[in-house]
Amino acid sequence: MSQTKSLEVDYNYSVVRLFTLATILWGIVGMAVGVLIAAQLYWPALNFDIPWLTYSRLRPLHTNAVIFAFGTSALMGTAYYIVQRTCQVRLFAEKLAMFTFWGWQTVIVLAAITLPLGITQSKEYAELEWPIDILITVVWVSFAVVFFGTLVKRKTSHIYVANWFYGAFIITVAALHLVNNMVIPLNLVKSYSIYAGAVDAMIQWWYGHNAVGFLLTAGFLGMMYYFVPKQAGRPVYSYRLSIVHFWALIALYIWAGPHHLHYTALPDWTQSLGMVMSVILFVPSWGGMINGIMTLSGAWHKLKTDPILRFLIVSLSFYGMSTFEGPMMAIKSVNALSHYTDWTVGHVHSGALGWVAMITIGATYYLIPTLFNQGRMYSIKLINTHFWLHTIGVVLYIVAMWISGIMQGMMWRAVNTDGTLTYSFVESVEASMPFYLMRFIGGVFVLVGMFVMAYNAYKTLRAENHSLKPVAEAVA
Amino acid sequence: MEFATLHSILTVILFVGFVGLIIWAYGKGRKKDFDEAANLVFDDEPEQTKPEQKQKQESDHE
Repeated sequence: MSQTKSLEVDYNYSVVRLFTLATILWGIVGMAVGVLIAAQLYWPALNFDIPWLTYSRLRPLHTNAVIFAFGTSALMGTAYYIVQRTCQVRLFAEKLAMFTFWGWQTVIVLAAITLPLGITQSKEYAELEWPIDILITVVWVSFAVVFFGTLVKRKTSHIYVANWFYGAFIITVAALHLVNNMVIPLNLVKSYSIYAGAVDAMIQWWYGHNAVGFLLTAGFLGMMYYFVPKQAGRPVYSYRLSIVHFWALIALYIWAGPHHLHYTALPDWTQSLGMVMSVILFVPSWGGMINGIMTLSGAWHKLKTDPILRFLIVSLSFYGMSTFEGPMMAIKSVNALSHYTDWTVGHVHSGALGWVAMITIGATYYLIPTLFNQGRMYSIKLINTHFWLHTIGVVLYIVAMWISGIMQGMMWRAVNTDGTLTYSFVESVEASMPFYLMRFIGGVFVLVGMFVMAYNAYKTLRAENHSLKPVAEAVA
Repeated sequence: MEFATLHSILTVILFVGFVGLIIWAYGKGRKKDFDEAANLVFDDEPEQTKPEQKQKQESDHE
């Protein structure tokens, strides 16, 4: 692990650059669709009576765009970047890596075409029909070959912890995708699941919650374990904790799925098991959060001047918050109130916009100057502007959904003395309207922030090579 | 062997394995290796651009 050896390594950045730019593009697209459907809930006329623009078809387009286009492009790009840098070796099978980029973009475009047309498997986060699923499988196996191939030819003796998380993410997502998408095709655009009834539901939420656990958590924890120490200029708080919480996290997450099916036809013991596993999951989740935040101990002052670090650390605060909220909502009696309400939507977005998007944005601001031969982003001020736009947007969003969700839950369960329901469903919808407007405004804040990032990135790319000096040098 | 028995044994094995992992990870002899591993993240930077506190920093913790 000599210091000089690494300088000779000629890393492959071309595929990382493409993924990083795709991350910004799909972030804007995915969040714009989100803002549109948030607006549709407040102004229903915004579907213009066009079937392709109905809420039911655009909602899966939104979730697929943010999770698989924005989030997964970011994960693939950073995985290729981190595995090269921490293994001090050039990417394995570079042409295959380029194929994963174009293959994945093809998947995204196919999703953007088929979902508005109403072509869907009707499984949440696994809506895409079987021909696209086959393409996903091919791309994913290629991704695994490139990643693990690079690990195999590494120059370092130890495999840095970030790669462990990326590895778990790649392997588990492959398994989830294959099992949940087992279907019998009827024709090119229609298929039926091979599972029936409660088993189908169980498989779906085993998939669904582990997409949260391994794509939206493990993958982004890998990102955290590289970019937080890098940006803070300090090694991770406790490497021991990272090992222990890694194994605890991956061992527990896989069992948590049944909490999506409380009080359904799923066997009661399965629900209780899912609940207990979800509650314990709080511990390794907070292990990761503490490890990330405490990396900054002794260097807290950096938060005052460095908006990139602020993105990374606040993302961890949201991670801590939503991994406390999640286990609580998985408790059956709490779930009886929260399930099917906007509280769930708020919880998802505190994870997705707070944790996933903020860590990705922080990593993107770190990567762009590095990948495009600059010392820093075009404007540090604009990063700060983006930080506040995003933070205000997320807070507006989740506060609106908390109030709306708890209110809905209370209204739905309220009964009169004679046992009849106090409120009709539409009364709860009416009561939610002000919060739908508040959520829409929050979404606009987040989207505007993304445009600020795109502008900042554009100016950085257009600037002459090495013309933007690192902050420390510029000040001195 | 009954299904439930097999799974109970598996659960115990996993639990013991996890306790073993904690003992291994927090073993005194490992500290130096882990400090080195934690600093691996900085080995890709040219020496002169590293801020002084990055240099093979000892973990302040544990």
